[in-house]
Amino acid sequence: MTPEHFLYHEAQLMDEARYDEWFALWLEGSTYWVPADPDQDWLSRRVSIINDDYIRLEQRVDRLKSGSVLAVEETRGAMRRLVSNITVTRDEGDEVSVESNFMLGIARSADQQFWMGRSFHELRREGDTFRIAGKKVLLINSRREMPLLQVLI
Amino acid sequence: MSTELKAPPPDYSKLVDGSRVHGSAYRDPEIFQRELEEIWYKVWVYIGHESEVPNPGDFVRRQIGLQPVIMVRGDDDKVRVFYNRCRHRANLVCLANEGNTSKFVCPYHAWSYSNTGELLEPTFDEGYDYDLDKDQFPLVEVARQDDYRGLVFASVAEEGISLTEHLGAVTEFLDLFMDLSPEGEIALDAGSQKVRYKGNWKYMPENSMEGDYHGPFIHKIAFELFARRSGLDVSTLHEEEIPDVIRSLPGGHMVEDYRGAPLAKRPGEPSPARKEYVEQMKARYGEEKAEQMLGTMAPLLYVFPNMIYIMTHIRTVQPISVDETVSANYPVMLKGVPEEINDNRLSDHEFMFGSAGFVSPDDVEIMERNQVGMHAEGDDWLFIGRGEHREKDMPDGGKSGHTMDETHLRGFWRHYISLMNGDAK
Ligand code: FES
Ligand SMILES: [Fe+2]
Repeated sequence: MTPEHFLYHEAQLMDEARYDEWFALWLEGSTYWVPADPDQDWLSRRVSIINDDYIRLEQRVDRLKSGSVLAVEETRGAMRRLVSNITVTRDEGDEVSVESNFMLGIARSADQQFWMGRSFHELRREGDTFRIAGKKVLLINSRREMPLLQVLI
Repeated sequence: MSTELKAPPPDYSKLVDGSRVHGSAYRDPEIFQRELEEIWYKVWVYIGHESEVPNPGDFVRRQIGLQPVIMVRGDDDKVRVFYNRCRHRANLVCLANEGNTSKFVCPYHAWSYSNTGELLEPTFDEGYDYDLDKDQFPLVEVARQDDYRGLVFASVAEEGISLTEHLGAVTEFLDLFMDLSPEGEIALDAGSQKVRYKGNWKYMPENSMEGDYHGPFIHKIAFELFARRSGLDVSTLHEEEIPDVIRSLPGGHMVEDYRGAPLAKRPGEPSPARKEYVEQMKARYGEEKAEQMLGTMAPLLYVFPNMIYIMTHIRTVQPISVDETVSANYPVMLKGVPEEINDNRLSDHEFMFGSAGFVSPDDVEIMERNQVGMHAEGDDWLFIGRGEHREKDMPDGGKSGHTMDETHLRGFWRHYISLMNGDAK
């Protein structure tokens, strides 16, 4: 599997809310980060939109799949994303860094939302596929007021 | 000039009937317009905390109602609130949400202003056929400005009650959260998260200050995760209601006062940082007060009309239109505590709040659905009567009720009506 195909696969799992399969892509100890300020330093004490370690990521998934989160109801089966502009920025042994753009559309009863951003994946080769060791997502609207983000990005 | 007569204002008292509120208060653009005039452009509105602009030249952009303002610390170290509008032809002077500058240069025809507000250069001023008096064109300061322990408030009305009168009894609760710092000072220096929702602004304070009534229904999974994380089970809090928690204060402020409800001890040994923090608090406030402060949940409070303090952060409520609102979360860092205490506060904050948090999105989703439901006008009344029969008068002039009571809402609406009728300040 190429890094591109892995990203397409991940996108499909997110679109189809296949939470457990998506979580299984992640390595223990991995981090998932969506900063509120795209220029902020990882170590600076600034609030993020998402700043999950592996434990909190599991909680995020458990919550989303619980069936009791109101904001999830409307998004089921109602989203798709495009992944493009994929660039491998580092390829050393088992470690591959990939950047890509995404555009996600979500149909809700009141309107159709779209989200856009650039993803930075830290991947680890495992057999003929990859696992995620870290992922950062820079949303184009991260500094601005945004609607609820209760889907996987 | 139009000479048409204005219709006399309707009697806004009709929006509330006993313990019922009329749906149009959340839905009617004319009522929203009246709110701007009689509430947002009359009363003290929270702008920000001085720690957001620590150095000369630091500024942040804010709004009072729909009017853009900037809060800036001048080279003279004074914090001022200016209208964000050029004196030439009203262009927005400052686009950036925050930053540092020695002068604000209007992009349109490049008039420039110092960070203390004076007009510096009107550009090509030889073209003006009189001696332009620069002193006549400074950035306009918002009429009244004051602060309480660094919390900056402003009012666009020339006259009105003082900030001290406006805050009234709520300062006791503001003190309690700021005193969680062993130096008695907070810092809003960890950035912000901003959430936009399609619903009326009043849902935010109403929902945020609701004790436990909706928790067991919409935050079920969040409570479970919290228990998993902390070892504390909060899911059964609602089974026994605690009296004197939900408070309304004069002035439309609301409080959830948990001082009478000690927290269960977190299992396990506290970390060295936590122990140090406890010692710091004892040193500053004495054993008894420190234990009281740390052994209960800090009060949640709402300062009418736009500031909310909840656990980890100060939240602002910013109306956009009758059915659209932005709320911004500013995590509150405590000065003087071990690093780990603030790191944990921030981590707790991200767990609960913001667009991708595990708690407040449940509330925001409700607010959007509330706005949709509000358009069904068959019986156009909301019922806010829970606990009315057992409500108690408090010495501060407010009222108190049990954990799930709607005492706070009744107080909010009493004040709201008096403002809308133009007979209060
Ligand atoms: S409007 Fe600002 S310089 Fe003309
Ligand atoms: Fe809630």
